[in-house]
Amino acid sequence: MSDAYSHRDKCAIVGIGATDFSRDSGRTELSLATQASLAALADAGLTTGDVDGIIRCDMDNVRGNDLAHSLGIRDLTYLGENGPGGAAPCAMVGQAVAAILSGQATTVLVFRSLNGRSGRRFGQSPVEGARVGGAGSYDELFAPYGLLTPGQIFALMAQRHMVDYGTTPEQLGGIALACRARANANPAAQMHGRQLTMDDYLAARMISEPLRLFDFCLETDGACAVVVTAAERARDLAQPPALIRAVAQGSIPEPQPGIQFPVLMRESITTLPARAVADTLYRRAGMGPSEVDVAELYDCFTITVLLQLEDWGFCKKGEGGPFVASGEIDLGGTIPINTGGGHLSEGYIHGMNHVVEGVRQIRGTSSNQVAGAETCLVTCTPLPPGSALLLRAA
Amino acid sequence: MSDVTAPLPMPVTDDLDTAGFFEAAARGELAIRMCDGCDAVLHVPVAYCHRCGSWEGRWQVVAGTGRLYSWTVVAHQVHPAFPAPYTVVLVELDDHPEARLVGQIPGRADLVAGQAMEAWFERVSDDVVLPQWRPAAPEES
Repeated sequence: MSDAYSHRDKCAIVGIGATDFSRDSGRTELSLATQASLAALADAGLTTGDVDGIIRCDMDNVRGNDLAHSLGIRDLTYLGENGPGGAAPCAMVGQAVAAILSGQATTVLVFRSLNGRSGRRFGQSPVEGARVGGAGSYDELFAPYGLLTPGQIFALMAQRHMVDYGTTPEQLGGIALACRARANANPAAQMHGRQLTMDDYLAARMISEPLRLFDFCLETDGACAVVVTAAERARDLAQPPALIRAVAQGSIPEPQPGIQFPVLMRESITTLPARAVADTLYRRAGMGPSEVDVAELYDCFTITVLLQLEDWGFCKKGEGGPFVASGEIDLGGTIPINTGGGHLSEGYIHGMNHVVEGVRQIRGTSSNQVAGAETCLVTCTPLPPGSALLLRAA
Repeated sequence: MSDVTAPLPMPVTDDLDTAGFFEAAARGELAIRMCDGCDAVLHVPVAYCHRCGSWEGRWQVVAGTGRLYSWTVVAHQVHPAFPAPYTVVLVELDDHPEARLVGQIPGRADLVAGQAMEAWFERVSDDVVLPQWRPAAPEES
């Protein structure tokens, strides 16, 4: 497990772009991707003529060549892809770093675009037709029992965390409220104008016990894009660079196959691949959790955040609940999280809006700016493998 | 919204890696995949045992008893064949706790972690039988 060649601080995110986040964009995913990409390039002070690499997520409907065509990119030398789904965005940035440092590209566009509410909805049962499963999906062992969605899987994890550690609904609610409070200060967040109290949280309808409505992220239409280039070049561009201190991907031992259901066979279902990604990322960065000023933690559900607070070493295993309840994840706490409102309250661009918000923290331009933030952790570590980034101010 | 007459999603029962589970269930037996080389549990089922390198495995009949590992009461319906509420259970086998199996209990089940569970067999179509799980009957004293 050698890190003989270090990518530490050698590349940077120099441009960020996002569309509006909505329930019905009225645009194609290609139009959204194009809009976010143009915004990211303009932000960096670059043009489409500068782009020679594109990296997509495997669940995106927009292919690299689709976006290259739409943007009029003429000299594409690198096309990359990562996944599955929410595990991708930080890994996509890592792939951009790899392409740049190996000389395969100089200026790489990394994007995620989805009509996640008006188009294909991830939270719905994907099961249709006469027969389900086969072909390595293992759905045949789960779907016939009515176990159909990611929310139901995370409900099983939350229940087990409650059994093992006494975690309470109020502690999960604390995560929903923290994200909502950040969204209330972020004009771009879908929940910008909607307050959430603990009474609201507890009174909301159950979806899959013990998870309630506000434990679930927001199905969202929208796109985000970032531009990655060499740190040396970044100095001459329009924005202060967010140096990529380190990037990592990882998977736990016995990761289990497939996209989601088989993870329920893991030795502990309350440990995410974040645990393994954390070890690699911290080692590569030469830093630890106490040096992280702010964290954008993948929050498809509240429980996903709670598990990661433990996996990333911000608190001990089993202590995520009390850690949340003590206010440590709020502005002013030891590790403020999801400062744009997160997937729970800003929008669910499948991890990519967390990358954009992480760059804002490094630039000092977040609507929930953590004073003096110099190091930001961004995670994409839901169910299968995962990835993460540590961003640093230059 | 709730159309209880919608057909249940039927599992693929002829996948090369998982067919044995359903073949055993059709015989009224609960079976999991195990390695012939080192007796490791291969669940979810795979052909190759990375522990010992063997490609030889068997469908081992196991006791239909286990302990409740986790559960969720599904209150929000997502599929027309599964009217809410219903309870999905995740059960660790007594014989091989490293293997967990899924079952469904109608309605809101009143459950406690670690409680004893027992398998039963539900014929869901002419050719498909699902191993199911329910709280074990109290032992006769």
